[in-house]
Amino acid sequence: MGNTDGQFYTIEGLAAALIMLLTAYLVVNATSVYTAGDTHISDMQLEALGTDALTVMDTNQSRYTMSPLRNIITNGTAADNQTFGTMFGNLINNRTNYGMDHIQYSASYSYRDGTDVKQTFLRASRNLSGGEHAVRATKWVFVNKQLGSIPVEDRAVLVEVLMWRD
Amino acid sequence: MGFLVSFSFFFLALVINQSTVVGQTTAESVIEFPKNDIRDTRSVMISSTNLSITNPANFNDVRDDIKKISLNRKSAVVSYSDPYTGIDTRQHMYIYYNNGVTEFYENWTSL
Repeated sequence: MGNTDGQFYTIEGLAAALIMLLTAYLVVNATSVYTAGDTHISDMQLEALGTDALTVMDTNQSRYTMSPLRNIITNGTAADNQTFGTMFGNLINNRTNYGMDHIQYSASYSYRDGTDVKQTFLRASRNLSGGEHAVRATKWVFVNKQLGSIPVEDRAVLVEVLMWRD
Repeated sequence: MGFLVSFSFFFLALVINQSTVVGQTTAESVIEFPKNDIRDTRSVMISSTNLSITNPANFNDVRDDIKKISLNRKSAVVSYSDPYTGIDTRQHMYIYYNNGVTEFYENWTSL
């Protein structure tokens, strides 16, 4: 009496409808918002800027002079710390346009004392309040000074600078 | 015909659905690679090789500095051997760095 030809079309339509429902579910499920900060590109740029600035400061200016950063840490006076702040602040805030950028920083260096690692504060453009979204740039520096209980000799210290945008 | 077209819709929706996760993890893995860390640590290790000849006790102090501060402040295990002069009259040194995710090993040769 009747034949079963139409069943094939029905099954095809049902399968296609199920796949479309699954597709709609996938589209609705993909509602995570991807902002520019999620890629961390701005963080990486800030960190690269800080590392470059520290590398510039740790470069000998001539064959016979030590690098500015090494002198600053070896001498360690208040005037030296201020020099660090001025030099670093200028390096990271220079723009090709007129006017300076507004990147803030807080710098310190870590040294070894026996089996402990201690930190000495260098300079900050602003006090850290804890709410800043900061990145850290580091640089190893050779200094010749007494750190801890070992008398004066060549030592390796790690300069760490936290940087954030206001 | 509609059945076949529905497959292509499904594939497109799957691609868009997974794109956020793929972009996020790719960017994070690029950021997390410690390129500057490794270059900086390697540079300070090589700079200290001169001390192994002029003042070996000082060289050991500097090596302890680097190992201790790297572990404490950078969460990286580093070590390097005493420089030795090879048959080719060049200095050689083994450098090892591991920050838990990336491992770097080098047999450094001076010029």
